[in-house]
Amino acid sequence: MTLSPEMLGLLAPAFIAGLIVASTHVPLGQEVLKRGIIFIDLAIAQIAALGAIFAHVIFFADGGILSVLSALFFALCAGGIFAWLEKIAPKHLEALIGSAFVLSACLAILLLANDPHGGQHMQEMLAGQILWVSWQQLVITGLVYAGLLFLWFRFQQHHSKLFYFIFPVAVTLSVQLVGVYLVFASLIIPALGTIKFQDNKRLLSGYLIAALSFTFGLVISTWSDLPSGPVIVCVYPVIALLFFLNKNEMQRENIN
Amino acid sequence: MRFFSLLIAVAGLLCAAPSGAFAKINVFACTPEWAALSKEIGGDLVDVYTATTAHQDVHHMRAKPSLLAAMRKADLVFCSGASLESGWLPILLQKAGGPNVQQNTIGWLMASDFVQKLEVMEHVDRSMGHIHPEGNPHVHLNPHNIPVIAEVLSERLFLIDMNNADAYEANLSSFKSKWEKAIAEWEERGAALKGRNVVVYHKSWSYLTDWLGMNIVASLEPKPGLPPTTAHLESLLQSLKGKEIDAILIAPFENEDAALWLSERTDIPALHLPYTIGGSDNADTLKDVFDETLSMLTKATP
Repeated sequence: MTLSPEMLGLLAPAFIAGLIVASTHVPLGQEVLKRGIIFIDLAIAQIAALGAIFAHVIFFADGGILSVLSALFFALCAGGIFAWLEKIAPKHLEALIGSAFVLSACLAILLLANDPHGGQHMQEMLAGQILWVSWQQLVITGLVYAGLLFLWFRFQQHHSKLFYFIFPVAVTLSVQLVGVYLVFASLIIPALGTIKFQDNKRLLSGYLIAALSFTFGLVISTWSDLPSGPVIVCVYPVIALLFFLNKNEMQRENIN
Repeated sequence: MRFFSLLIAVAGLLCAAPSGAFAKINVFACTPEWAALSKEIGGDLVDVYTATTAHQDVHHMRAKPSLLAAMRKADLVFCSGASLESGWLPILLQKAGGPNVQQNTIGWLMASDFVQKLEVMEHVDRSMGHIHPEGNPHVHLNPHNIPVIAEVLSERLFLIDMNNADAYEANLSSFKSKWEKAIAEWEERGAALKGRNVVVYHKSWSYLTDWLGMNIVASLEPKPGLPPTTAHLESLLQSLKGKEIDAILIAPFENEDAALWLSERTDIPALHLPYTIGGSDNADTLKDVFDETLSMLTKATP
């Protein structure tokens, strides 16, 4: 399939969703990598989903404000608990977070055991449906993210405390937009690709990796007509590796 | 002078070309059976996009770019309706559908709106599982429904593209006479199937069994849409003992594990019926689907 102007118009919301997600996830991902708590993304995403499923089972809420609020509430509680665990058991934090992930995933399966759409909900939450994103969703998420980014860059000295508030909010919203896999990729892969970069260039390079991955991912997904979310996830490591190798090369040249 | 007339001829061609190209109607068919019917009635005058294959469960769809592109240029959206596609069609329509294919327009054709539906519910609640309150949407498996839907389709094609009314009319009548003959033959072959008992995975087969006078004695799903559970399968195993069951019917998009499990323990053969075009190696046309279904069923019930 070719990229006609019409097709570009149809893909625009998906591309902007990617940029919005990357805007918070690239800096947050670098923090996650620094702290060595990679599982926190999967755990928070899963716990937020558990919150949405809880609202679905108890209040019959499907999408809508109630399920988002319930997801946010669950994610923020989890963020609070993780912050507390970091204080009392810093050595085993990653192990505890990993356990929280499987626990919440299994609770979700049990809650959905009698739900005919259960399997589909789970699948959609994981792989995401980035092409279905609406402009309204983008505006709401964009506004919240602007607030989060302001907090993050304005109060840099308080990152250790802010992290457990900002991270759950950012991840809860991004999972609704693009799914768990793409959220994980947007957090971790730009951070990995830029580990060799100097501090002042790391953020910009991370943003560049994300923007290029979404661009090429959407183009390849259109050409090949494959589901967009998984294609973008597969493009991410390729772009990140190119950045990493390029940096390596430059360093070697400088030494010579 | 020669140059001048050549110029006029070229200009004439240029004017004619776009209107000739425009004549093709773009049909967005949710499933292979409606794509096939569109080609039967529309012939070369339609361009058909098929959103799913026989091996995909049309309840669930992954968002891929071609879906958006096909919906954007569609002149006719042709699906089963009765909320079979409710998980993705409304959002796709909202995102990419033009004004001429919105609900309740000429370009919006839901096959199940035009036939007598089975299993219509007066009262539905969430405890009942994945129920279609509007009735069972798998309407294409009663062959008597097909010409009724074909007639509506030809009407719609006529309203979209009046220039080719004769072609649609001719295609419809030749399809109908071919189809009536085929039905007579199938009903003769299927007479022996009357009163036979089958187990199904999901209620995908209600129209077929209703047509042939067969009985569905059990579903592998404990409730519609819920995957089979061990407890349900165990209770099926008990309740089926001593009953005469001829086959377990599975569609290509259904998980066969549970059917094979039951088949192994009861010696009831599990039949992979084509369900729609592309559902088995030989099911290339609508007619093949019924031909193949009939031969498999009659073979299983000696």
